[in-house]
Amino acid sequence: MSGALAVPRPVGLDDLTRDRTGHVVRRTWFDRAMRWLLPLLYLVAILPILDLVYWVARGALPSLSLATLTTNPSPGVGSGGGLYAPLVGSVAILAVATGVALALGFLGGLATAEYLDERSAGIVRVTANIMAGTPSIVLGLFGYIAFVTFFGWGPSLAAAGVTLGIFMTPYIFRAADLAYSSVPSHIREAAVGAGARPIQYLLRVASPIALPQVLSGVFLAMAIGVGETAPIYLTTTAVELPPLGLFAPASALPLYIWSGFETGLVLPSAIALAYEAAFLLLVIVVGLNILVRLIAARARRRLEGLFQ
Amino acid sequence: MIASAPSFDGPVVSVEGLTVRAKQQRLLDRVTLDFAGRTLTAVVGPSGCGKTTFVRTLNRMTELTPGLRVEGTVRYLGQNIYDRSVNPVVVRRRMGMVFQRPTVFPMSIWENAAFGLRLVHATEDEIDAAVTEALQRSGLWEEVRGDLDRPALSLSGGQQQRLCIARALAVRPRVLLLDEPTSALDPAATQRIEATLQRLKEEIVVILVTHNVAQAARISDRIAFLHSGRLIESGPTAEMLERPREALTAQFITGRI
Repeated sequence: MSGALAVPRPVGLDDLTRDRTGHVVRRTWFDRAMRWLLPLLYLVAILPILDLVYWVARGALPSLSLATLTTNPSPGVGSGGGLYAPLVGSVAILAVATGVALALGFLGGLATAEYLDERSAGIVRVTANIMAGTPSIVLGLFGYIAFVTFFGWGPSLAAAGVTLGIFMTPYIFRAADLAYSSVPSHIREAAVGAGARPIQYLLRVASPIALPQVLSGVFLAMAIGVGETAPIYLTTTAVELPPLGLFAPASALPLYIWSGFETGLVLPSAIALAYEAAFLLLVIVVGLNILVRLIAARARRRLEGLFQ
Repeated sequence: MIASAPSFDGPVVSVEGLTVRAKQQRLLDRVTLDFAGRTLTAVVGPSGCGKTTFVRTLNRMTELTPGLRVEGTVRYLGQNIYDRSVNPVVVRRRMGMVFQRPTVFPMSIWENAAFGLRLVHATEDEIDAAVTEALQRSGLWEEVRGDLDRPALSLSGGQQQRLCIARALAVRPRVLLLDEPTSALDPAATQRIEATLQRLKEEIVVILVTHNVAQAARISDRIAFLHSGRLIESGPTAEMLERPREALTAQFITGRI
């Protein structure tokens, strides 16, 4: 053979279309099949979502109007009216909940990522995971016992808000912990090496890098929380008026979906209101998710090249 | 531009009996070494010899690593930086540090250079003057003067590293510590950094950790050779390269260890 290739005999043949036993090697059919299969699977995956949006929109749109957003429900489910009170109630509960979850989750995540030693951080993370895994109806029951009866707040905006806030805490905790933990260590060293005090590092260097990710987590937690029914089902009641104060009952959209369908079994006219409430919730959730994408995209542009 | 302290004529940095212990081992073993003004000292040695640990003890960066114990003294203009009355943050503001990888922050070029000044709440006028000066001293000014508001992360690796030098210089330290600043850079970028360091050594103490003997030969005035945490020998560059006293030094500079 050619003297230029006086190397030990290669493991494969020189013929690149065959394997070492001489069989023709063609892997391209697998590659081609996958190119068709994967988009198909993607379609299968999103089909239920499209189906859901379709049916909710079909049920809600015929009767949805601006008046739905501005008028209160009529007393007695099924007798018409709008969704002003539950909309305001949902927003109010979500505001209280987000405040509570930020105070617990953000500060907890920050402390875990920045200040706790590995052992304590591990304990806190496990606790947060257990909290996230707790069935939300158990949390609702806890809220009922603790806030509604023990503290004597009654079914109220405060009781529902704090309970939902506890539900949302682990999501925000995780986002904050991850965001601050993922600030590259060489950036930390550089800041400290330049003479930054710990608080200066936190405010001037770490937070501008971590906060967009935290904010994404907060909005995601809000998107999850706004549709949660179990934590608020036992801690507030569906009323026809917007909440009058922190310790007054606040209605919420998920409650109207619940009671609308329940009543709808015997009184079909009630179902329309349930569909409208579901549609509004979907709009809020999609809106929050779009916000998350926008923040993430902006942060990616600004931080490009930092994490290499 | 920056004179050595008028009231002090000893070495700017004086290290005596410096030992750093981790749990199992000694990372540095009784290192004694002086750094005089207007000198570029290259600290060389094979991987794991303790040269990075050494330079990090000079501005108390070792404290970021849990479990390290430092003994001995490091004197900055005669004051022991490990004295109980000394705040490590202040030490780090007096001795700038540049790392192996460029470590620019996700801010504009200008804000990166101004970082150290903002930490000490300098006025805008002070910052204006100091940032320009620092970018000139680091040799980056001509390339970036037109777009100081650009994100620093959009600069090339070599430019980012010179920006890090500028960031360290902006607070006018008397000492600049560099931990293998060119090992992630291409030859052209390396050459520019070396030129910058040669200009800087006329003004301040430059302490350069490098594994690259050729680099030490090109730009250093003195070489200190570390091996297994011990200072084997130190002296003027030409002497160290031509007539090393220790066999280990000879082996290292000829590339055998």
